[in-house]
Amino acid sequence: MTVWSLALRNLLRNRRRSLLTGLVVVVGFAAFTLAAGFMAQSLDGLREGTIRNGLGHLQLADPLAFDDAADGSLEHGLANAETIERILRADPAVVEILPRIDFVGLITNGNRSVPFVGTGLDPGPEARTMDHATALSAGQWLADRNARSVVLGGGLASALGVHVGDTVTLLATTADGTLNGVDASVAGLADIPIKELDDRFVATSLGLAADLLLVPDRVSRIVVMLRDAAESRPALRRLCASLRDQGFDVAGKTWEELGLFYRQVRLLYLGIFGFMGAVLVVVVLLATTNSMLMAATERTREIGTLRALGTRSAAIQRMFVAEATLLAGVACLVGALLSLAVRAALNHSGIVLPPPPGVTHGMPLYVKLYGVAYAGAAVAMAVTVVLASALPARRAARIPIVEALAHV
Amino acid sequence: MGAVRVRALEALDVDVQRGEFLILQGPSGSGKTTLINLLGLLDRPDAGSLLLDGRSVGEMDENARADLRRDRFGFVFQTFNLVPVLTALENVEYPLGLRREPRAAMRARAQAVLARVGLTGREELRPDLLSGGERQRVALARAVVHEPEVVFADEPTAHLDSQATASVLELMQELCDERHVAFVVATHDPRVVARGHRVLTLRDGRTVVDS
Repeated sequence: MTVWSLALRNLLRNRRRSLLTGLVVVVGFAAFTLAAGFMAQSLDGLREGTIRNGLGHLQLADPLAFDDAADGSLEHGLANAETIERILRADPAVVEILPRIDFVGLITNGNRSVPFVGTGLDPGPEARTMDHATALSAGQWLADRNARSVVLGGGLASALGVHVGDTVTLLATTADGTLNGVDASVAGLADIPIKELDDRFVATSLGLAADLLLVPDRVSRIVVMLRDAAESRPALRRLCASLRDQGFDVAGKTWEELGLFYRQVRLLYLGIFGFMGAVLVVVVLLATTNSMLMAATERTREIGTLRALGTRSAAIQRMFVAEATLLAGVACLVGALLSLAVRAALNHSGIVLPPPPGVTHGMPLYVKLYGVAYAGAAVAMAVTVVLASALPARRAARIPIVEALAHV
Repeated sequence: MGAVRVRALEALDVDVQRGEFLILQGPSGSGKTTLINLLGLLDRPDAGSLLLDGRSVGEMDENARADLRRDRFGFVFQTFNLVPVLTALENVEYPLGLRREPRAAMRARAQAVLARVGLTGREELRPDLLSGGERQRVALARAVVHEPEVVFADEPTAHLDSQATASVLELMQELCDERHVAFVVATHDPRVVARGHRVLTLRDGRTVVDS
């Protein structure tokens, strides 16, 4: 008779109680893994969205530009942008180089003027790596690096009352402080999920932005797309070092450093998930402790008998811990199966979650298969159940034998 | 109100010899069970000493006492105290398992002892499917399977009918005579008393007769 076989029989002795305790662990395990899967999926989506919505994996700029980000005059722009691009392309981790000119100004249709937040960009690489080109609700993406056209946010176009093919005028302050204006045709309308941005968004070619701001071969920043987001930090160090070796004074930041919203959401998710995990652990702890205490109390006389026959106290404790471990193991296995089944059902349900604040579109519900969560839940549940059994086991093992034998 | 302290045994000097059938008798509360608990190392005396082979065992730590019970003592309880999730055979094997004996030898020995108490064919039954007499025979088999030097039995026939009592007593007598196992039996039952080599009559925790 092994300790495991005895543990199994003792668990089966009171099937209903074992089933209920196990059920608490099963539900706790499934809830933990499903919540973690949903959280991981949301964070993955948010990370990709953060990167693909314009941030890129890395951004390189003049060191002062990072301290003075609101300045749209290119005072701290990077000169010799094309040379910098060539140096960056030589790195094997780099997939795409996206030079950008950031500027602000007024856009007018002749009757009405609306402030905008503009970006001059290279349309080809942007279309290949960012979501701008695929997020168009009407018209087309910018044709080339010198196109005399713009893509407007849907909200901005609506405020101006312009459509694809109409002509608008962009007004902005140049580097020397004068006001300059250029005409451009509306090539397309972008469907930006964040309303505040949708109401101000203007994308145009690098050539048109340079003409507007009167600064040829100078960009505000260079966005770099890498093969893998995980390479961001080492790649940044390497690229900055290469550029400095060539005499360029640049600073850089990774998407994580720049993605304040992502960091805040991640922190919030971790807080919520941590709290939920703690509640689950407490529920499992209480349910299991109660169950084990009842089992120990009911078996007091039996424990007294076993000790009278020569079983050491430590062996009695091991017996209870084995029962708890077995219960936790089986419950975790069932919990994992339940979690997988619920995950499959949810992922095929077609449920669309309501849009979060500031976002215009809902998100389809999807729960990621997150292996770390399954391992973490198994460890957390097993440790909790074993801890919960420790106190009753200790109590049972320490009760005086004659008292245990006289227990009714 | 606080707990009342009762002196369960007083001025008692008992020695048990190998192969002896010692009967403890006396009215309820006379101290029979307390004496069995002390001699069987299930309890500790407040005063006095317990000697085993001339060595003091009263102050030993719990593990050492557990090992002594495992190796040298056997116990038969009034209410059988079999482990309900184990079969008759597994109950009898239990003391051998504590001594980490080889599985095959353990099984053979337990089966032999069960056969000796007349339970061949009943080995795989759990205690709830056995009669009172059968359970007490399993309990007796469990108490002697590891060939202890002393078996302590507290009212072993209290829940048995005449036939079962005779059967259990017969077996105890055989073990005592043939294997020189000492029995210390607390009882009110005159049929058991009649088997004793020596009868200790207790009253209020003192020996009043040693015959």
